[in-house]
Amino acid sequence: MSLSPVVTLQQPQTVRSVSSPLKTLASGQTSSNGTPRPAAQPAPKAVGPATLDVAEQMNEEEKRKYVKGKPCRLQPDKTNINFIANFRTPIQARSSVKKIKMQKEYTEGMPPDAVRELKHLQELHHPNIISLQSVFSSKDQNVNLVLEYLPLGDLEMLIRDTTNVHYGAADIKAWMGMLVRAIWFCHENFVLHRDIKPNNLLIAADGEVKLADFGLARGFGDIHSYMTSNVITRWYRPPELLFGAKHYGGAVDIWSVGTVFAELIKRAPFMPGNNELDQIKLICDAIGTPTEDNWPGVTTLPEYTVPTQNPVRGKDFYMYQFGTVGPDGVDLLIRTLALNPKKRITAREMLSHPWWHAEPKPTRKEDLPRKDGGEDKMGADLKRRPGVVEEEKRGAKVARKLDFGGAK
Amino acid sequence: MATEDERYRQSSQYRLWSFTRAGLQDLRAKTNSLAKQQIAPRLTANPPPEFLTAEEEIRLVRFHTIELIQAAQFCELPTEIRSTAAVFFRRFYVTNSVMTYPPTELLKTSLFFGCKAEGYYIRLSRLSEKLSGTTSEQILAGEFLLCQGVRFAFDVRHPLRALDGAILELQQRLPNEQSRINKAHVRAREVLKFSALLTDVYFHYTPSQIMMAALQMVDKTLVDVLVPAPHSGAGDGAAGEMHKKIMEAIDSCRVMLEEEPPERMSSYWETPETIKSMKPLRKKLQRCRDPDRVDLVALQKARREQALNKEKKPAGPAEGELFGEAISREVKRRKVDTADDVFGPPMPL
Repeated sequence: MSLSPVVTLQQPQTVRSVSSPLKTLASGQTSSNGTPRPAAQPAPKAVGPATLDVAEQMNEEEKRKYVKGKPCRLQPDKTNINFIANFRTPIQARSSVKKIKMQKEYTEGMPPDAVRELKHLQELHHPNIISLQSVFSSKDQNVNLVLEYLPLGDLEMLIRDTTNVHYGAADIKAWMGMLVRAIWFCHENFVLHRDIKPNNLLIAADGEVKLADFGLARGFGDIHSYMTSNVITRWYRPPELLFGAKHYGGAVDIWSVGTVFAELIKRAPFMPGNNELDQIKLICDAIGTPTEDNWPGVTTLPEYTVPTQNPVRGKDFYMYQFGTVGPDGVDLLIRTLALNPKKRITAREMLSHPWWHAEPKPTRKEDLPRKDGGEDKMGADLKRRPGVVEEEKRGAKVARKLDFGGAK
Repeated sequence: MATEDERYRQSSQYRLWSFTRAGLQDLRAKTNSLAKQQIAPRLTANPPPEFLTAEEEIRLVRFHTIELIQAAQFCELPTEIRSTAAVFFRRFYVTNSVMTYPPTELLKTSLFFGCKAEGYYIRLSRLSEKLSGTTSEQILAGEFLLCQGVRFAFDVRHPLRALDGAILELQQRLPNEQSRINKAHVRAREVLKFSALLTDVYFHYTPSQIMMAALQMVDKTLVDVLVPAPHSGAGDGAAGEMHKKIMEAIDSCRVMLEEEPPERMSSYWETPETIKSMKPLRKKLQRCRDPDRVDLVALQKARREQALNKEKKPAGPAEGELFGEAISREVKRRKVDTADDVFGPPMPL
């Protein structure tokens, strides 16, 4: 009798059997006295070399490319546990794994944010968009997204850490460039991200910024379909959504890009509203009140209400607050924060704006400021990051819950 | 920006779901033979029944795709969703056998998940009300299987938008032939809504090729307007070669579409012969299907329970619980197997 064979990974036979739990047990015949019969005859059923369906085999192939590493909570999101995973190949590449658990509260199967994230990340391949390397399911029917490993935290960490992280106009230009390229690529492929904010902008080991979390993304361009206005984290949400617009395009993301730009300069959220009405008030104060004059048709939006009548701010006002990025930078910022979405600059137009060519040149990504230190430091950073107050606030602000019933 | 072709090659439809004809045939044959191997030991009938061939499976999938289209029409789902659901359903049965998982069930799951993937959140209970005799549980039971079966690729690129674009283009180029163009539009759309979903064109051609082939089916010369032949004289150059290549692809795609002309949609239901002709196949399926996986609800329940029990086990997350388990369990299984050789089959309960 031979010992259990050496298991090598290359053999397809090592694929674990995922047989049906309801398997009708092959009737084991017994001798009259109940003792097991010696194996004189060959076993009743020959175990075939492959006991998986083709679909299951393909899944196993994906799964076996990775070896699980230590757990690492990359995002403070209780439904998604992240692991570091090592690629099971000679190239010791690392990945992070986002595990999507089937939620008990959501009784309609796979949660919509998981469907959206998978749908869009499968299609979008760009250096400034987090790359989905693989997807596989584990036996407990959780879906595992293998995402590229982005160990240097996110832009929010850098913005907030004013004591240790110092950055200037050239760094802002580099980060903004990467963000704008990411969003341009999404729009070029008819995808709206709908949740752009500093903590969805993750940083790779080489300093490259990657747009992540496509849980609220959707396609656009179909004029017939109703779109929910309850998206984008409030501080970054454009006025048309606050007024309840049911049809919109890439301009909603551009507004968020503008608010992130402003936040990078100020090192504090630009318009941190406490609720939707407060958010509208902050917009009216900081940028100007949307009226029929500056935005024809705005008063017909379903939830149009404005608390005050302020004129739209002039360039001087912005120069005073955001002058560190120079007059061209301020011009770009003003265009991204145009109240009327039709007049707001597009991602493509942003890319050809003179600011990119003005001095200073954007910092090379390798030289960008970072919060470095080993992985342990990173773990500590990640633990420290959600300050208690911050955590409470954030939870309330995320427009996670969509009105699915409303969509017919 | 990469060219449109390059961008299409990055899509999951191209990366995961486009095949050569031989490649697709091989995959289906493999699926079919694996299913036979697995089901055979679970069947009690003596003598063992005859199994479906890969070709018969294709016919059954086709038949059920029509049922799916019908159900989608009945539920008043928009064309895009109907098409996405049909494509999911057909992709699923490339790597899963109809003998393993019942198409009547997966059809409903495909409809539900098609809605989700297109961002159309129909309530599960509403859908189950519409599909009489179906519970929400039944619709959901196959969801995970379907997701895995379509390799977690939820974006399907349809030729419908391409057609709308081509029609706009034609209206500009032939301003005096509006009624002809409108007629072609309507008929080509019928082809895309039926023939394209019943045949293998999505597996072999790009959306624009499928659109051109549909247009060629209904009004050949319109395609010549959109893809004009290079001027004579230059005909033997690179442009001529390219034109020839494009037309060959469109032609062969058209031939495939013509296997299932849109007129069949009504005839499938109006003529009892077609339904009758499916009867022997359905009966055959009844006899050879996997007895363990007929009831997807119970199967799903058991799998969930298994997963829950696993979670409850001592929470020391063994290294490789998720990834390495393939190895350790396999070793265990093999140990058990080898033990079998010595001590015979397991004790009956």
